[in-house]
Amino acid sequence: MDNITIKKNGLHELFLQLGNKWIFFFLLLEVIIFSIISPGFFSLNGIQTILNNSPSILLLGLAETFVIITGGIDLSVGFVMGFSSVVSAKLIVTFVGLGMNDALSIIIGIVITICIGIIPGFLNGILIGRYKVPALIATFSMLGITHGISELLIEGSAAKNLPALAGKIGNGSLINMVPGKTVSFFISPTIQRGEHLIEILPNMFVIAFIFVIFFAFILKSTKFGQHTYAIGGNIDAAIRAGIDVKNHIIKIYMLSSLFATIAGIIYMLRFVTGKADSGVMFLLDSIVAVVIGGASFYGGFGSVWKTVIGCFIILVLENGLRMLGFPTFYKLVLVGVILIFAVLVDQFSPELLHKED
Amino acid sequence: MNTNKNLALNVTQNPSKLFSLLAKNWALFFLLILILIFSFTGKRFFQLANFQNIIHLSTTSLLLAAAETFVIITGGIDLSVGFMMGLSSVLSATIMQKMHAVNFLPALSISIGSIIALIVCIIAGLISGIMITKYRVPSFIATLGMGGIASGIALIMSEGFPVTFLPPYLTDIGNGYLIYIFPGKAISFFNKPEGITGKELKELIRIIPNSFIFIVIVLFILWHILKNTKFGQHTYAIGGSMVAAVRAGINTNRHLIIIYVLSSFLAGLAGVFNVFQTGIGNYTQFSSMYELLAIASVVIGGASLFGGKGRIIGSVIGVILISVIENGLQLSGVDPFYRFIAVGLILIAAIIIDQSFPDLF
Repeated sequence: MDNITIKKNGLHELFLQLGNKWIFFFLLLEVIIFSIISPGFFSLNGIQTILNNSPSILLLGLAETFVIITGGIDLSVGFVMGFSSVVSAKLIVTFVGLGMNDALSIIIGIVITICIGIIPGFLNGILIGRYKVPALIATFSMLGITHGISELLIEGSAAKNLPALAGKIGNGSLINMVPGKTVSFFISPTIQRGEHLIEILPNMFVIAFIFVIFFAFILKSTKFGQHTYAIGGNIDAAIRAGIDVKNHIIKIYMLSSLFATIAGIIYMLRFVTGKADSGVMFLLDSIVAVVIGGASFYGGFGSVWKTVIGCFIILVLENGLRMLGFPTFYKLVLVGVILIFAVLVDQFSPELLHKED
Repeated sequence: MNTNKNLALNVTQNPSKLFSLLAKNWALFFLLILILIFSFTGKRFFQLANFQNIIHLSTTSLLLAAAETFVIITGGIDLSVGFMMGLSSVLSATIMQKMHAVNFLPALSISIGSIIALIVCIIAGLISGIMITKYRVPSFIATLGMGGIASGIALIMSEGFPVTFLPPYLTDIGNGYLIYIFPGKAISFFNKPEGITGKELKELIRIIPNSFIFIVIVLFILWHILKNTKFGQHTYAIGGSMVAAVRAGINTNRHLIIIYVLSSFLAGLAGVFNVFQTGIGNYTQFSSMYELLAIASVVIGGASLFGGKGRIIGSVIGVILISVIENGLQLSGVDPFYRFIAVGLILIAAIIIDQSFPDLF
């Protein structure tokens, strides 16, 4: 305690604040730079594109945040996402084939998929919580199993023949405006030739963001969230404090699979197909986003909002580079560099950075 | 009381001895059982050519698993090996291609390309190692970042396509065999007997692929280092207890840096060998997950992710087990996607066996 109070003088305080919030400034800097050098970036369309691409990484980032705070890792989220996109697509196609109404079959399909989608998480949780299998191995085996099952379900290609309504929901926006004429919500109005439709807030982003807000609240302000931090901070202490660690870990991995499942359903709605490998690219990105957000792999640190900023750092980078005409490969290099930079910042001033959490 | 206990122990000694032997080497037994099963179900499974094929195709996986074995024994993890392999493959192929285009000798361009790729990999490993030891970055993150960078550079260099137009003789070396026998006519070493064409090629018997010789030599050296040298003992010591290793006077930082350099070097070697085998430079795709499969093989081979445990031979068995499953399922006409499920289940079984009999290993 004494150390910290002594250090609190003007310049150091400023540096501390800056160090603590560096990801926020980094995101701001990124946005400013791309706005200057790439003309179409800071426009309604540009922002809309970023929001459109955000649900998968936001949800997987949310999943990893919970898991990494407990000191684990979940490698299976990417393929659980693919698995649920395949399962939901298959179910909906089956229901429609049985002569059910489009809307009804989509709703029932999604509900059943959510129930199926948390099973991998449940198994992960049992292996990790009960049998003390290292999280890396347990979730990697689950990755293999979900990958195999989803490829078998769709026989190696992609699920087809989904009703068009799914795409309408998935690609619609919350607010649709035809300037000077109509405003509609959720489903886009039919437009005449020559009219310009303005879409604000994609539906799927809104759904993902509701999840983020809700679970940010759970993590920060409920007993469940506090126990999550406690387990990550010191598992022995958590057991002594009377927390049911085994069951808590099972719940955490089920949550993680739940988020991945939602991401898969969103993928299915947006692209009107189910693909086994739809989440592969997002696995790395989501882990990186969580780490950029200041979480530690030793557990006990991390916050949902910082993860969200981490996600947007990656999304802005990806979109900005694409608009400048760079191939996506450059993103990989830069994300790797940012990741290492983030960890180094953490290492150089650990006691300052985590003071607030 | 005491004698009673002894008696009881004696009675159970024999069966438990057998049982412990079985549990200890379950991967090997499982491998033998699988080979037995696939010999019945798989068409042309139990043949010399197929076994040589399995070894030949798992050469790169064996190198990656060996790299991962060293790192996992120290209690770390290296997630960059797969992408490092891709970088080394693309880099060496690109250099060979460029040098070959301006009419350098094939041998010269091949060796310079390979050496530069290996040096680059060593430098990358050095950077990872320094980050992990000097700056205390968790190995998981440092290597994840390094993997992302390596993968990006490989993709930028190859522009997302395989690197082609390489010097000749590459695949002759990589896919060659030590002994060629043309029944009743000719025996030759390293090269196919001359004057054999068309239909006769089918009758040619090929024994011992070059890749087999190569991998046996590399693995023997690594096995020797890990088992019989001070370096190997220090590796186990660091994984067993870092604090104790520091107290015992081991320069842990330097040792760990060497471990990560070795790991990257082996991954680079796998990449160069990949060029020899395929004749093109392949970047590593995101969904290939080489590093995770390598980790899985090491864990199946009895290593613990908490460090201090692991054997080269175990890892080799792990790799072969996965390859045999892949090959056997394919030849048995089973949908190839079952192999993902199979690997996942075996991995879980490995860990649960490991957890259930902690005193055996």
